[in-house]
Amino acid sequence: MTGSPGIPDCTKTGTPVPGPFANPEIRPDSLPRAATVAWQPLHPRYAKRLQAGALIRIGVLAAVVAAAHVTVLIAGFETLSRIAVWPLRILWALCVLGAVWAVVKPVIVVPRCGYAVREKDILYRSGVLWQSVRVVPFNRVQHTKTDSRLLDRRFGLANLTVFPAGAGSQKIPGLGTETAENLLAHVSERIEAEKPQTADDSC
Amino acid sequence: MIADPAAWQRTSPFAIVFFVGKTIKGFAQSFAQLLVTFGALAVLIRRNPYLFLLIPLGILAIIAAGVLQYWFFRFAIQEDRILIRQGVLRKTSLDLPFERVQGINVERSLVDRMLGLVTVSLDTAGSGAAEGQLPCVDAALADLLRTRVGTRHSRRHADGFGDDGESASGVAVDRSTRDMRGLIGARREELLKLTGGDIVRIGLANRNIVLMAAFFGALGQLFLYGEDALRPAVESAEAAVAAGGDLARTIFFAGLIVTLLAISLALVIGAAVLRHHNFTLWREGTTLRSRAGLLTHKEVVVETAKIQQISVSQSLLMRLFGRYRLQALPAAAAVPAEARDSAAAGLAEVLEVPALTDNRAEGIRTRVFGREGDGLTVLPGSRGFARISAHFIPVLTLRISLVSALIGAVILLAIVGSERALGVAVAVVIWWFCSLPPAALISWLKWHRHGYVYTGEGLANRGGFLGRKVDSFLFRKVQSVAVRQSPLQRRKGLATLHAHLACGKVTVPFINHGMACCLRDRILYRVESSLRWL
Repeated sequence: MTGSPGIPDCTKTGTPVPGPFANPEIRPDSLPRAATVAWQPLHPRYAKRLQAGALIRIGVLAAVVAAAHVTVLIAGFETLSRIAVWPLRILWALCVLGAVWAVVKPVIVVPRCGYAVREKDILYRSGVLWQSVRVVPFNRVQHTKTDSRLLDRRFGLANLTVFPAGAGSQKIPGLGTETAENLLAHVSERIEAEKPQTADDSC
Repeated sequence: MIADPAAWQRTSPFAIVFFVGKTIKGFAQSFAQLLVTFGALAVLIRRNPYLFLLIPLGILAIIAAGVLQYWFFRFAIQEDRILIRQGVLRKTSLDLPFERVQGINVERSLVDRMLGLVTVSLDTAGSGAAEGQLPCVDAALADLLRTRVGTRHSRRHADGFGDDGESASGVAVDRSTRDMRGLIGARREELLKLTGGDIVRIGLANRNIVLMAAFFGALGQLFLYGEDALRPAVESAEAAVAAGGDLARTIFFAGLIVTLLAISLALVIGAAVLRHHNFTLWREGTTLRSRAGLLTHKEVVVETAKIQQISVSQSLLMRLFGRYRLQALPAAAAVPAEARDSAAAGLAEVLEVPALTDNRAEGIRTRVFGREGDGLTVLPGSRGFARISAHFIPVLTLRISLVSALIGAVILLAIVGSERALGVAVAVVIWWFCSLPPAALISWLKWHRHGYVYTGEGLANRGGFLGRKVDSFLFRKVQSVAVRQSPLQRRKGLATLHAHLACGKVTVPFINHGMACCLRDRILYRVESSLRWL
């Protein structure tokens, strides 16, 4: 795109712009649209990985609750076991609900997440009820990384994260290991190609 | 003067005070930690009075830590970079090329000023890399640093560094000389100087005045409890009051209130004078500088090009005075959490003008944004702001009232216990209904405050509750952009736009979905066709 309205000196408002300069008008409807991209789905195994992770967490919670329950039963304090009945029931109910939710949620959420890589930016959409689409232009990305935890590796998955300046980094989870590596290479290449000039080259 | 800046050297021994302060600050950073420490100490001392000796020992340890930190802090200024080595147990060494230095901030405390010393902070870009701070060094050294950084920047331009590939070499040379002047400080243009009246206004508009009133209230309560100690004074006052009857009593209490009010006012105004005395904002080439302070001189230097966002806010009282508060947020204002360690914390300086008129605010906007900012306003009162959708009101009303009902439920349950759950539920529902009108009022007010203006190059977003605040930025400074839709927003064709900048996030809620997408695409177009954001 050639339409960069370079204003080399923003401290002197009155000076004429030096050098060859073009600033063609852009019609709003001719701008490239972020809404009409072809979304790439996350890896199908990602749902299973989320289920596994959540179930492990629920399992740990259930173990703790079971330990507490057994302790109360064995200790056999009359008053304690009477008081503890309701909290224990609630905790067990929470475990069961959590387990169901752990199985159901990824199935709903994962198909609705997706990413898209364009020439100059990377898009990530997420959310079922609260839907969001975030776009990170490559020429603002400072660095990028992939990581995979133990569970990710077990399922052959990896996560890609891009870091623009400031606090807002964007993570794209649940990519196949190979996809993640290819994407990392591509993004790094794009970052290099679109490298912003730092400091003082502008006004 | 400086013997050989390239050799490794220590700062002045007065830096020990600085390091001791830093250690204490490090402790105090976690308030909970401090509380636990003191609590444990109090309990221990009650058990064993000899442990009281721990306190001087602790103070000695902190001073010793300061001395050690001073001893191990060395720096060397080379032609193109500064090297800093520090750390007692965990050694760190910082190698900072001058090219990456964004600004040199200088702070002088009272002691510093008496000794002719300064504390220099070197700001780097927003990537959050390590930043350097030189405590208590010779003032001449700060000048030397400025000169070196200035020549470095200009040399880089002289090498013919292009600008979006569109500038001729002549421009680069022109710019280099400008930068040179800018950083070395040959040409100064004073933009703003705070008058005494403005400083009094700042003091009066201080929010702490409410806190102060609460404090005095608490103090009054305390006096009632500690009556024994004050009995003679109170008795004589009471006798005098009783003797004089109702009128005297009224006068006495009115006088008391007026005195307390006067003391509060004197305190807040005194604090404002201490902080903002002789506040001057001036332009030096491409940088904006401010200096203020009665005892501790504080100087903030920000490169205009590094400013990502201008925030102009106005509290109710300031609105009465017709003054605004302006903050220019540079890229480094938000350092990523993982890079935030003790050395880097609190260094990225926000340039703040505590009180200025509307014309001055627009003038600063013009200086920072240039012609790209034409048509973009920074003033909350300007007429151009478009309203956001009124669906914002019921959603916020519901959110506020539900949160208040939830908090009410928790408190009630804690007080009456779970036996009377039904009663609690009824009370909470009633409470929820009662909280709807005030919540609606708050929501309406917030909706009324919200608004946005956009041009082809930038956006200004207004928000606030009692006060008003406008965040304005140029599209090309945006780092990433997101469009979010809640279920209700989807049904009504609305969306919320989030623009992430290197200094924070700007959120425009409840605008037309098509408009949000259009703005997003426009921002992306500007970002992707421009490489300049720093």
